Amino acid sequence: MIDQKTQMKIYAHCIVDHSQAIDNDIEGMGGTPIYNIPYRDIGIVVSHIDKQTKDVPKEWVLKHEEITEKLMENFNVLPMRFLTVFNNEKDILGMMKDYHNDFRMNLDRLRNKVEFGLKIIWSAEEMRRRIINEVDKVDDLASLKDNSLAKSFMKEKIEKYKVDKVLEKEAERYIVVIDNIFNKLSVEKKLQKLTTENLLLNASYLVEKEKQKDFKEAFERAKNTPGDLKYLFSGPWPPYNFIVLTKKPDIFTPLEILKTMGNTSF
Amino acid sequence: MDINRIVETDSPQDFIEEIEKIQNALPKRIDANPKNVEKGLAKLVLTLIELIRKLLEKQAMRRVDAGSLTEEEIERVGETLMKLENKMQELKGVFGLKDEELNINLGPLGDLM
Repeated sequence: MIDQKTQMKIYAHCIVDHSQAIDNDIEGMGGTPIYNIPYRDIGIVVSHIDKQTKDVPKEWVLKHEEITEKLMENFNVLPMRFLTVFNNEKDILGMMKDYHNDFRMNLDRLRNKVEFGLKIIWSAEEMRRRIINEVDKVDDLASLKDNSLAKSFMKEKIEKYKVDKVLEKEAERYIVVIDNIFNKLSVEKKLQKLTTENLLLNASYLVEKEKQKDFKEAFERAKNTPGDLKYLFSGPWPPYNFIVLTKKPDIFTPLEILKTMGNTSF
Repeated sequence: MDINRIVETDSPQDFIEEIEKIQNALPKRIDANPKNVEKGLAKLVLTLIELIRKLLEKQAMRRVDAGSLTEEEIERVGETLMKLENKMQELKGVFGLKDEELNINLGPLGDLM
């Protein structure tokens, strides 16, 4: 008889503030039921997947999210990153031992809080066109030798530098206006400016569950911000972006085991 | 938990394109094999040189913008930066590397460039 356990890896769904078995009928990633592995006063909810899995089905992304949400209905959870996989329970317990303090701290800090996402696109090209008309031309290089390649090169570079500088200031101005609308309704936030030229803002806000309605209403107000902006607003999500680990995973910890399955974990 | 989630946008395609740009900046897997090890090494070295080149360029632009360089110095800096940029283009061509490939993911710190 084949030992099923040796054919399996363990898929970690989330950390829960619960150290008993969980009574549920939720199906995990590999079709096997999820279960809780307790460690001291907390637990980690896992399921089994086939060790041979190489190509991860796209549906797993949604399933990972669905399982986390179902668990959130009854437990205070810390969601694990998609595709966090361990070889065996011993490795999991080692990780739980190493990170127990961090998990405990995060469970307490993130209790009754959810995450909202806000992405805003502007047309960087349009902004550049507008700025170019306003930026001073580079007169201070006019006296450089005529026909100098270096001169034309520098003129071009400096003009671009000046336009970029104004573009960045404009981006900051927009972000301040929009963030002011959400700031007072959130307890923490993460703002990324211009991750790509057009992605003006990529923001995550941590919000008290009881303020969800207010936060959604704030988005309706934000949409009236003057300017040709496009919005993507989503939530509430489990607080993926607000888990803080004081102890960083080592390169060769079990968290990195799943290299064979592609981009992983934690 | 009462999950009453919304995902709202008027421009889904625009957001898909921008998010794909971020994801495509880095390969999903490191394609390491003996045949392309030279290219991989060149990518790493050229990424670091490109970072230094961009820092030098930015510093030079700051100084020109602040008016702290003489005209002669500006021309000299311009010539140096231009030659450096041309050489980088040449090297990228030799190893078949595109501009967007010259980057490194620094984990929690984000991308190098």
